[in-house]
Amino acid sequence: MPPKINAPFVEKVLVRFIRDELGKCGCKKGILGLSGGLDSAVCATLSARALGPSNVLALIMPYGKAFPEDVRDAENLARRLGIRHETIDIAAPIDAYFAAYPTRSRVQRGNKMARERMSVLYDHSAREGGFVLGTSNKTELLIGYGTIHGDMACAINPMGDLYKTQVRELAAHLRVPAAIRRKSPTAGLWPGQTDEAEIGLAYEELDDILFGLVEERKRRKEIVEAGHRPAAVDRVVRMIRNSEFKRKLPTIAKLSLRSVGHDFLYPYDWGK
Amino acid sequence: MKVVLAQVSPRLGDVEANVELHLDILARARRAKADLVVFPELGLTGYTLKDLVEEVALDPDSDPLFRKITARTRGLAAVVGFVEERPSEKGLFYNSAAFIADGRLLHVHRKVYLPTNGMFEEAKFFAPGRDLRTFETPFGRVGLLICRDFLHYGASYVHYSSGADMIICISAAPGRGVGGGDAFETSRMWELMGEAMSYFSTAFVLYANRVGIEDGVTFAGGSFVFAPGGRLAGRAAYLDPELFVRRIDLAAVREARKKWLFKRDEKPEVILRSLERAIRAAED
Repeated sequence: MPPKINAPFVEKVLVRFIRDELGKCGCKKGILGLSGGLDSAVCATLSARALGPSNVLALIMPYGKAFPEDVRDAENLARRLGIRHETIDIAAPIDAYFAAYPTRSRVQRGNKMARERMSVLYDHSAREGGFVLGTSNKTELLIGYGTIHGDMACAINPMGDLYKTQVRELAAHLRVPAAIRRKSPTAGLWPGQTDEAEIGLAYEELDDILFGLVEERKRRKEIVEAGHRPAAVDRVVRMIRNSEFKRKLPTIAKLSLRSVGHDFLYPYDWGK
Repeated sequence: MKVVLAQVSPRLGDVEANVELHLDILARARRAKADLVVFPELGLTGYTLKDLVEEVALDPDSDPLFRKITARTRGLAAVVGFVEERPSEKGLFYNSAAFIADGRLLHVHRKVYLPTNGMFEEAKFFAPGRDLRTFETPFGRVGLLICRDFLHYGASYVHYSSGADMIICISAAPGRGVGGGDAFETSRMWELMGEAMSYFSTAFVLYANRVGIEDGVTFAGGSFVFAPGGRLAGRAAYLDPELFVRRIDLAAVREARKKWLFKRDEKPEVILRSLERAIRAAED
C-alpha cells in the first residue's frame, strides 16, 4: 500500500507549489473545474489556501440536469471556501455537436464533454489571466483513467504525485465535507458510472498494485505472490503500458541535430 | 567565528539576479559581523539548467559579475556555487564551488559525483571533477563537497585524511518522501551523514541546502551545522528561506580529538594499499 502521508506536511508543500508556480509567472489567479467529487474539492481547498479565496475561480460545468447532487455539493463547497464560482451548462454545444454527428458510445460522449469543459476552462483562463489547475491524481495518471486534452489538460497539477487513497487522507486533513468524501468516485461520464466498476478494481487494491509496480519496482510475479489476483495485476500492467501516450507530449519525428522533444532541453521554470 | 548558511532560492538561469541576491546577503552578513557565508549548490544559476548550462557558465577569475562577489568578501569568506568554464578548457562545464576569502579566490572544487539517474541528469550536462583536496583558510583547513559528493563517504574520508577541520557541503537536494515527520524523508539521509562524518572525523560539517521549487521539484532546506563529535549545533527550517547564523568555536576540533583518538589512530596508508588492491582485483 502507498505509505500513509503526513498530511499537514503535504499541504505545506503543495500550497507552496501552487503559490510559487503561479507567482513565478506573475499570475495570482487559479481556475479549476469543480465536479462535486473528491479530487477537485481537494485542489480547490489547496488553491484557496495558497492564493486566497478571492483569487480562485471554480467552474461547475454540468451537462444539463445530470448529477444535480454533485452540482449542489460543488456549489456548497465553493461557498464554504469563499472562492468565486460559476455554474455553466455545457449541454448546448454538446447537443449541437452530437445532433450533427450522432453516436451510441457513452465513452465518446463523455470524452467530448470532458474536452468541452477543458475548452471552457481555457477560455476563462484567458479572460481572467489565471492558470488552469489540474486535478488528476497519480492513480489516474498511471492507468490513464482520464481524457487526454480533456480533464488531463492543465497548466500545473498539484495532485499528480498522490495516489487516490492518499488524496483521501489529505481530504480528511483539509476537512473536505463528508458528503464529498463519502461518495463513490466517478468520472461522471454517464449516470451510475463509478470508477471502481469501470476499472474493475477497488482503489485500495489498485493503489497497492501500483505502489508495488511503480515505487517498489516489483515484477508482476512478486505482486501476485504478495496475494493479488493475476488477472488484476495483468490488467493494471496493461493499463499503464497502453496509456503512456497520455503522459507525454506527442512524439516528434527527429530530423535535425537539435529537435523539440528530443534534445532541445530547457526547464519549465526557465528564467523564473 | 560566526557562520551563515544562506538557505536561499535562486532564480533559474538568471545569473545577474542571483549575483544581486548573493551581494545582498553578503552585505547583511557583514553587518551581522559574520566570518563565513555558505551559499547553496549552483546558487548563481539555479539547479535544473539542462541546455542553459553553457549560457550561464563563467570563469571565476575573469567574469565581471563573479568578480563583484569576490570583491565583496573583504573581511569575510564565502562559498559560492556556480557553473565553471575555464578559457583553457572551453566547452567543459563543471558544477563547482568556490571558496573566496578577503577578496581572493582560494580554491575551486568541481563536483566529482554527478547524479545521473531517475530525476537527475547532471552527467548529461556537466563534466565530472577529478580531484578532492583540502586547502588552508583563515579558519583552518577546509574540504569542499557538492551535494551528492557528500553521500559518497569516501569523499569525506579523503578530506579528513587531508587534515580538514571543516567539511563544507553545498547542496541543491530535492525533497522526496512525505510519509515521515515535518520534513521530506530524504532530509534524514543528509542529517545522518552529517552526524556520522562530524562524529568520526572529529571535524565540523557545514551543510547548506537550498529551498524553492523548480519544475515541480521542491528543494528541502534543512541546512545544518554539526560540531566535531556528532553534536548538532543547529539546523535551519525545512522548506523555507532562512539566513541561518551560528557561532562556532574551532577549538572544538582539538577538544574532540583529545577525547576521541580516531584521527591519531587513523591509517590512511593501510586504506590506500587495500584500496589499490581492491581496484586491481575489480579490474582483473
